[in-house]
Amino acid sequence: MTKYNIWFFSSFLIALIVALPIITIFFSFFSETSNYFTLLKNTFLFDYISNSLTILISVLIITFLLGTISAYFISFYEFPLCKFFSWALILAFAIPGYIFAFSIIAFFENYGTAYSILTSFFGEYNYNPHIPKLDGVLGSIIAISFSLFPYVYVLTRSSFFFQSNNYIEVGQNLGLSEKETLFRIILPSARPAIIAGLALVAMECLSDFGTVSTFSVSTLTTGIYNSWLSFDDLNSANQISFILLIFILALLSIEIYSRKDAKYHQPGRGFKPINKIKLSGKKSLLAFSFCAMVFFISFVFPVSQMIYWTLKFPKYIQDIDILKINLNTIYLVGLSSLVLVLISLFINYGSRISKSKILNYLTNFSISGYAIPGVILAVAFITLFSNLSDIINANTNLGSTKKLFIGSMFGLILAYFIRFFSLSFNGIKSSYEKINNSIDESAYLLGYSKIKTFSRIHVPYLKNNIILIVVLISLEIIKELPITMILRPFNFETFATQAYVYASQDLLEAAALPSLFLISWATFLIIFSSKYILSQKN
Amino acid sequence: MSKHFLEIQKGNFTASEKNKVNDVNLIIEDQGQIISLLGPSGIGKTTILRTLAGLQKLDSGKIFLKGKLIASDKIHMEPEKRNIALSFQDNSLFPNYKVIDNINFGKKRLNGNNSNVKTDEITKLLHIEPILEKFPHQISAGEAQRVSLARSLLSKPDLLLLDEPFSNIDQSLKEEIQVSVKKLLKRINLTTIIVTHDSYEAFSTADKCGIILDQSLKQYDIPYNVHHEPNSIEVANFLNKGIFINVEVVDSECAVHRLRHDELGEIRGKLSNNFPTGSKVRLLLQPEDLIHDDQSALKLEVADRKFRGTNFIYTLKTKNGEHLPVFVHSHHIHQHEKSEKFGIKSPIYIDHLVCF
Repeated sequence: MTKYNIWFFSSFLIALIVALPIITIFFSFFSETSNYFTLLKNTFLFDYISNSLTILISVLIITFLLGTISAYFISFYEFPLCKFFSWALILAFAIPGYIFAFSIIAFFENYGTAYSILTSFFGEYNYNPHIPKLDGVLGSIIAISFSLFPYVYVLTRSSFFFQSNNYIEVGQNLGLSEKETLFRIILPSARPAIIAGLALVAMECLSDFGTVSTFSVSTLTTGIYNSWLSFDDLNSANQISFILLIFILALLSIEIYSRKDAKYHQPGRGFKPINKIKLSGKKSLLAFSFCAMVFFISFVFPVSQMIYWTLKFPKYIQDIDILKINLNTIYLVGLSSLVLVLISLFINYGSRISKSKILNYLTNFSISGYAIPGVILAVAFITLFSNLSDIINANTNLGSTKKLFIGSMFGLILAYFIRFFSLSFNGIKSSYEKINNSIDESAYLLGYSKIKTFSRIHVPYLKNNIILIVVLISLEIIKELPITMILRPFNFETFATQAYVYASQDLLEAAALPSLFLISWATFLIIFSSKYILSQKN
Repeated sequence: MSKHFLEIQKGNFTASEKNKVNDVNLIIEDQGQIISLLGPSGIGKTTILRTLAGLQKLDSGKIFLKGKLIASDKIHMEPEKRNIALSFQDNSLFPNYKVIDNINFGKKRLNGNNSNVKTDEITKLLHIEPILEKFPHQISAGEAQRVSLARSLLSKPDLLLLDEPFSNIDQSLKEEIQVSVKKLLKRINLTTIIVTHDSYEAFSTADKCGIILDQSLKQYDIPYNVHHEPNSIEVANFLNKGIFINVEVVDSECAVHRLRHDELGEIRGKLSNNFPTGSKVRLLLQPEDLIHDDQSALKLEVADRKFRGTNFIYTLKTKNGEHLPVFVHSHHIHQHEKSEKFGIKSPIYIDHLVCF
């Protein structure tokens, strides 16, 4: 029997709030649209889908190669700087696709950075025709791939880490060569992790707005944005969202399914860590060069480009109120993390002590928000609260309630809550599940009340994990673009919005400074959290 | 109201459809008694402990502790208010606290009993002094079990519940710790219920022993009686000490009762249950009941021989196909091979004639 108590109603309320965007999109699918959607269906919709799928497939192939090869080298071999690369490759997470896109454009454009380098080495000449133009779909593929490959790298590396040396030794004992061991033992065992990584890449790729928009490539996400902004047609935007959501939900199912399988690859009692093989000569050079190349392109290249531009155009340092943006970021990150962590703790604790199955279903439902791309969430959010405001306006004297949710700090944090509740809830849940129920029971038997057990046993145990979650939420919010841009209060800038606004005004060089700050913050947070990820403690 | 230290009246304990124990009536008369509950794994022994501790609700019946009703189908006193400590079978140490801090958690109970037990004494007795500064993940399962026991002891409970407390402890330490813990429990007069599936542990530690089989408490008696006079075939089979042979009651009137077996001849002793002369009954024959005697005229064929350390256990075959176990000290001057004849002292005398 489910008790209808405070835990049930809180979980129900949160599940409802998080589900609102999906419900809105579903109902909008049956709403009337302007002629724009008919026009779109007959003209560009196919292009949107085909561009989205072309980028998706290419990104999947590239991230698979970059992620698994680097994870394989680092997990199984010793070569110069391999320890450095093991965490340095994660730094690519600090570079959002759109900043990578700014860097590519800046480097390869006519009279861009590549041109300047060639001129300084070989003298004045018109090099422009010889410099490849990595723009449009190709540029998007490269930018997204290098910013997302760490998903595959981290999960695959973690799976390799947990592969017991016993399996490899058995393989060798059965006469398998090094190559056969790789293809017949190592890769099949890591398959669930690789697929889970690729599914995350795919979801992020389909959700990407900043990169494709910077390269002016029409995809489903830019289609949603344009329907809303250029044609003021929220219903059309939601109908495109519906199509995109179908793709996303299919990928989410694959990811969940893969994770289920991945459970079987946790180390058992006979776990023996892998003995790394020391490489020398050409093999060592190959492993080193590959990892160095990936690190250079994914991190050093965009950072250098941003530093170069910042130094080359110092006037923007004075133009941009960098202190205010820093304070905005701290304010936004602090408030959102606080709300997310407190509510996640509350719901997790309720779910733990009430042991209700319905409560578990509700909380599982409430984590679906992470699958919804930011741009869809923002547009659905506007649709929902505009309609709600109209209803309230028509039936009461309260006036418009739009301002409360749209263009307000409250609305922005609510949207972040919907988007990142899954990250926060699951993060705390995974740590909570490690606390055996008999530990709570022991505390009760030693005379501790439920509240005291929570404060004296749970919170100290979860402390490190909460810090990690705050770091991850901060990282996501700092990089987040579409939700912040669409829902932020007037004149409220973050590094992401400031950089994007300049870039959309063709002032890429002005975007360098906020981008550089964004990267610095993100790098700091990643280095801080990588200690947890790499040590596998959490 | 109950005048006993602990009383369970018609208690029904349920964890799942399979895991339940019904209609339990159990009394611990005085404070300081040690009770063991013995039964196969998954039978519901732990469910009884958890219900006593208040971690699960009692289905029906009543539980009184020190005369106070703590559980019934209507009343459920919260675990933190019962002053009952439970030491879990699995590791239930607080993972983010050192061993010493875990132990000290036990000392913070406000309404503990007045026993005079000190941390130093407990840590020494349980051999956990060297690991006091370690975290739970740095110690072995056996060490964790001892720490958990120390924590429970230091919480000064009115009733201590131990769930398989020695199961993970190394054989070399096990016996020493069992003896020390028993001594301590007696000294501090702490009433204890120990759940175990090891009959040796149950018999050696407890004042009284309960056998749980087929969802009920089959026998509750002093260990000596449970061992020598099991009250049902199920209990005897569970203790797995011997076999049943078909005999006839020749004389159940005299001070020494007499039975007759077709091949073993007359068997003398004291019947644990009353049967009229002439009854055909099944007699429990345990390995220590028959005594080897090379000079005896009563000889049976050796069907098997197993070395058990201190003893050999011979299996002897009768003409009607019964297989009788017999202990022989392993230092006995000679050994018998399969198919050889094996002498048994006759007439046979068995203290407890357990018949059904």
